[in-house]
Amino acid sequence: MSRVRVEPLGAEIELQPGETLADAAWRLGYEWPTTCWGQADCMLCRVEVIARPELVEPADDEERRAIAHNLPRAERRRAVRLACQLLVTGDGVVVRKEGVRPPSPR
Amino acid sequence: MTQLDERTATVPFAVTDPWWIDRERYYDRTFFELERDRLWNSVWQMACRLEEIPAVGDYVEYTICDQSVLVVRTGPEQIKGYYNACRHRATQLALGCGSFRGGQIVCPFHGWRWNIDGSPSFIYGAEGFAAAAVAERELHLVECRVDTWGGCVFVNFDRDARPLREALEPMPSLLDPLGVDRMRVYWWKAVRLKANWKMAQEAFLEGWHVMQTHPQLTLGRPADYRADSLEYHSYAHGNSGYWTKPGGRPVWDADREVESIIESSRLLYEGLDAMTLARDMHVIESLRTRPYEKGVFGAQLVQAIFEYAAGAGIPLPMPEDPAALVRWGGVFYLFPNFFILPQYGNALVYRSRPDGDDPEACYFELWSVTIPPASEPEVKPEFGGVYRPDDTSAWPQIPLQDFSNIERQQRGLHSHGFRRLRLAQDYEGGISNMHQELDRYLSR
Repeated sequence: MSRVRVEPLGAEIELQPGETLADAAWRLGYEWPTTCWGQADCMLCRVEVIARPELVEPADDEERRAIAHNLPRAERRRAVRLACQLLVTGDGVVVRKEGVRPPSPR
Repeated sequence: MTQLDERTATVPFAVTDPWWIDRERYYDRTFFELERDRLWNSVWQMACRLEEIPAVGDYVEYTICDQSVLVVRTGPEQIKGYYNACRHRATQLALGCGSFRGGQIVCPFHGWRWNIDGSPSFIYGAEGFAAAAVAERELHLVECRVDTWGGCVFVNFDRDARPLREALEPMPSLLDPLGVDRMRVYWWKAVRLKANWKMAQEAFLEGWHVMQTHPQLTLGRPADYRADSLEYHSYAHGNSGYWTKPGGRPVWDADREVESIIESSRLLYEGLDAMTLARDMHVIESLRTRPYEKGVFGAQLVQAIFEYAAGAGIPLPMPEDPAALVRWGGVFYLFPNFFILPQYGNALVYRSRPDGDDPEACYFELWSVTIPPASEPEVKPEFGGVYRPDDTSAWPQIPLQDFSNIERQQRGLHSHGFRRLRLAQDYEGGISNMHQELDRYLSR
């Protein structure tokens, strides 16, 4: 298990081995913006990695292509990653993502 | 052999004598379309292996003729099949295989989406439709029937079809004691053959072609290989099977029983890499060190296989009735297009399907499956690829030999010198039984 903090909500999300940040959030019942649900296509789930970027696995070809083709130039910063593709190798990564909502009580 | 059904006489090129099969059944377009509409739309068919969809949300797309369905694991113990078309403007919702992430099935066209249980979860632009057109009950994904047996998922597009178990019997009763549901994929490959899907599979509905097609399996003595060394059984609903007759192995030199069995096993292992695998070879070769007793070597071999399995943590079940073990090495055909060939804790599995819209093309798959040690983690099987039928780097000797005949048969069908296939009553009843059941579907 690796923990990722999501700002500004301040949520701590536990990722299972091999699980992406978005998959973990969806599994735990968070609302995490998307329209394509994990297809590396809609770009809506993108985050900015603001701490411990060395613990984030590099983007693969599919994600890099999506960032190059589906995002306006001004937004193609190095720290921008897709939560639906984002894997971490350890605790302590912090990302910034507006629009994440905690699981609603049932 | 069952009495021919009178109703089936209306089918074009119907089987009117069980031992003669009209050649048009393998290439005529009207016949092919009748199969599409009346066979494939109402028969239970193997859609995928359970191990392909281990986690909730995993899916496999199954295609047959012009139909595509998504087989989805919707719960730890639940699987559903959805016709693969968006309820908006028909876009196929998913292709190939994968996982519906976040539990959502999303149309790539306008983003309509569904929970994996088939209920709509988001209808983008709903306000632009007449209310009745986007009413919740209108928008559920449309399901087909799904059931499981033997580690596989089967689908059926006919709501009124008989239950799966009933359609498959007696195969589950014959094969369950051998542990087929515990087997997992060792390798999985496919071949595209220029032959009708039935022509391809009929190569495996009888075993007496071994003498000429696979001479190596006769240990250099094809002249001694008897066509009647196997016993053939036809069952209801088109199913059939065959296995070695008691004492039906005359090829094996009685004086050299041990070496003959080891050599036969090696030929199967090296020529197929299925049914007899490396671990079995190891067990069989170790028998050389045991004191030889004439006539009981077969029993010693069985005992050694079970001893090895127990020691290696392989959950190979001991059948309640040990007579079930006579089915090791047999061939079991499940109508319309699925085969299981069990041996020890392994099996070779075949599936033959029409390839697209061409009556003379088929997509033929082979799986080598085996019961893994209980300690081994479950992994999704990896598809090894589609290969040409003459690709010597992809196929071992035995399938290469089978494939080469199948395409020659299909071409031979069109010869001015050929009109219909003649079948051996004693050896090819399974082929006739399959065609007769097919006619029952086509006449409905």
